[in-house]
Amino acid sequence: MSIELKNVDYVYDSGEPFEYFALRGISIHINDGAFVGIVGRTGSGKSTLVEHLNGLLFSTRGDVVVDDEIVSKERTVLAKVRRKVGIVFQYPEDQFFAETIFEEVAFGCRNYGFSKEQVDESVRKAMNAVGLDPERFLSLSPFQLSGGEQRRVAIASVIAMGQKYIVLDEPTAGLDSGSKLAILTELESLRQTANVTVILVSHNMDEVAEFCKQVVVLDGGTVVFQGSTDAFFRDADLVDRTGLELPESYRLAHALKECGSTLTVNECSTDRMLDSLKLCVSDLGGA
Amino acid sequence: MALSRSFVLGQHYPGTSVVHRSGALVKLVSTIVLMIGVFVATKTVQYLPIVIFLAVGIGVSRIPLRFFARGLKPILFLIVLTVVVQLFFTPGTPVWQFWFVRVTREGLELAGFILCRLVLLTLMSVLLTASTSPIELTDAVSDLLKPLSHIGVPSAEIALVMSIAMRFVPTILEETERIIRAQVSRGARIGEGSLVVRMKSFIPILIPLFVSSFRRADDLAVAMEARGFRVGSPRTRYHARHFQSFDAFILFGTATALSGVILWRLFL
Repeated sequence: MSIELKNVDYVYDSGEPFEYFALRGISIHINDGAFVGIVGRTGSGKSTLVEHLNGLLFSTRGDVVVDDEIVSKERTVLAKVRRKVGIVFQYPEDQFFAETIFEEVAFGCRNYGFSKEQVDESVRKAMNAVGLDPERFLSLSPFQLSGGEQRRVAIASVIAMGQKYIVLDEPTAGLDSGSKLAILTELESLRQTANVTVILVSHNMDEVAEFCKQVVVLDGGTVVFQGSTDAFFRDADLVDRTGLELPESYRLAHALKECGSTLTVNECSTDRMLDSLKLCVSDLGGA
Repeated sequence: MALSRSFVLGQHYPGTSVVHRSGALVKLVSTIVLMIGVFVATKTVQYLPIVIFLAVGIGVSRIPLRFFARGLKPILFLIVLTVVVQLFFTPGTPVWQFWFVRVTREGLELAGFILCRLVLLTLMSVLLTASTSPIELTDAVSDLLKPLSHIGVPSAEIALVMSIAMRFVPTILEETERIIRAQVSRGARIGEGSLVVRMKSFIPILIPLFVSSFRRADDLAVAMEARGFRVGSPRTRYHARHFQSFDAFILFGTATALSGVILWRLFL
């Protein structure tokens, strides 16, 4: 069971003089339970790609396969696919409409015909998953929350539906660093406990390095790299060519290597990098 | 993108023809005068001077006829309804009868007359808005209202409100599509089911749209004030317009068409 794209093209205004390839020959494979990053510079096709995953857009050529089901315009197929793939769009708090947070989070569940008890349980679970206390928040209006809390409610409103695959388009954009880290940590624990596959679209390479084991790199509508995040960031030239920046930790590692230092740092996150660096320095001091 | 294509009424069709280049105020006045002319006429044939003038305008503008046809689409229902009502419910000498349905000579004439009237009015406004950019058009409205500012009508502000409204139409359409995508991803079924269900399904789109519009309006007000905008203070224009020879031709043609209709009605 997985999401697979087979040689997918998406063309805007196909056949007209202004036709434009937003995606060209995209083939990717996303395994169940993975935490995958989709990265690339602005206009590289990330958002277009994401909208193919639950049938908001349909490929011009090639197949999008979700759990052996080829995504098509046919109603029953579409319903099945949307039931499996949830998308949290950019600035998801812009879609709030309900009077209370409970109603907001319950919206998706009701659309999928959950019973009253199921709705109640899913809403509470989802609120806990994003680190908001249901007792305190459920009866409030979503509009009276802080930016970070609103973002969490919006994410809860998608994960409450209990979909297998959750796609998040820049879920941390415009938030303070504390909320950023908390949201991603919550997603990681959701992945581990509920076996949800998380697909993260991000411009923040530090985030990607810390949370995504695998990464799909897009440039100009094509896949230029697919595989382990670590392997991608070790190739500084490729990172540069795709218009992306190295995470802090990898930059330090590259710099150390360049000046011939034997110090090695943990690249997986800035915090761990600092810890390993402190350790090294104190070793040096002790020697 | 799909939404924005279906609205032609009020849409600009950029071009470089003389109709595009002539003054917006002149075109606006001409359209209003011709509309008056349409209502002055009492018989279908009396539309002829206006039809000729409008046909020349459409021809010279080099805007494809397809564009005008699309402009008629939104009012198609209205046209059909009025024509049908006129056709079947006008008393007079019957020309065709079947059971209780009866078409009279007078009904036929009236239906044709109304049909021409509606089509003419629509084509005129499509030509005006297609050949004039929204900004020019609001400037023209502001000019037209200027005399009223002496009696306290805030003409410049009305024009500003109009131009801001028009500026945000595409933005709001885009926003609508964005919200629809998000709600559909949350399992919403828009426009399906019974009437009540269907109407309820628009709430999750309309409320976010209102909220974001108000927020945007607030931001815009702050941004405008930050750049020195004050209500009531005099403003200058970036593009000043000067009277051109084709403007004179439009005014002359308009006056001729209107007097043609009036004379025809009075003496023929």
